[in-house]
Amino acid sequence: MICNCIVQEGQIPPETEAALKTGIDEFTQRAFGETAEINWVAIPKNSGFTASKPSTSSIISMRAPQPVEQSRRETLLHELCNIWTTETNCTLDEVVGVISDPENN
Amino acid sequence: MPLYMCNAVKGAIDDAAKPKIAEDITRIHCDVTGAPPEFVHAFFVEDSPAQPLDGKSAFLFGNIRAGRTDEQKAQIVSEMRQSIHQHTGIPLDEIKAATTDTPASWVLEGGEIMPEPGEEAEWMAKHKAHKSAGTAA
Repeated sequence: MICNCIVQEGQIPPETEAALKTGIDEFTQRAFGETAEINWVAIPKNSGFTASKPSTSSIISMRAPQPVEQSRRETLLHELCNIWTTETNCTLDEVVGVISDPENN
Repeated sequence: MPLYMCNAVKGAIDDAAKPKIAEDITRIHCDVTGAPPEFVHAFFVEDSPAQPLDGKSAFLFGNIRAGRTDEQKAQIVSEMRQSIHQHTGIPLDEIKAATTDTPASWVLEGGEIMPEPGEEAEWMAKHKAHKSAGTAA
């Protein structure tokens, strides 16, 4: 399944990026039984803004293969964002997680 | 969330214009929807295949919480296109903009499920209380 990770350039060292990709792949296999195909997008320096200020935010989004019941979605979102904060030492305010239902649901 | 991604032809939006456009995107979104500025992300990329330009010079794509009216979305698109035009000189007909809706309940931000439109103030108060207490729901 496709997982889009949007990060700010220079914020995440290569070894952390590798650990995040591994963590996300393990997460999608555990949660959805599918390998993660990760699209990693680094926003160039001076090109990311949150609340009009230079951004330190990361956005991680994926579309579930089956509809997800909301309480499970919340559990999974917390798990996903915790992978990010644990590996990067960023705060929860710097992470946005999105788990969408399949299209046409 | 919202996340506004602006893809443009290389060099069409310089680094001086980006903070001005980002400020406008934030102001416009907040004015039209009542959302707090802390929610608004504005990111710029160049020649991104993930967001095809279809022959245009710039394409602003906003992923916003579901629940806004068609009129609100039309105003957002119109005013943000105008901002890009004003700060870059790109002709208006070379600037594409669109939004898509994502249910708030699908998004975790700041460690909490995002509020439905209109419930932002309560969410912010709760979020600040959680932060002060060192927890997130």
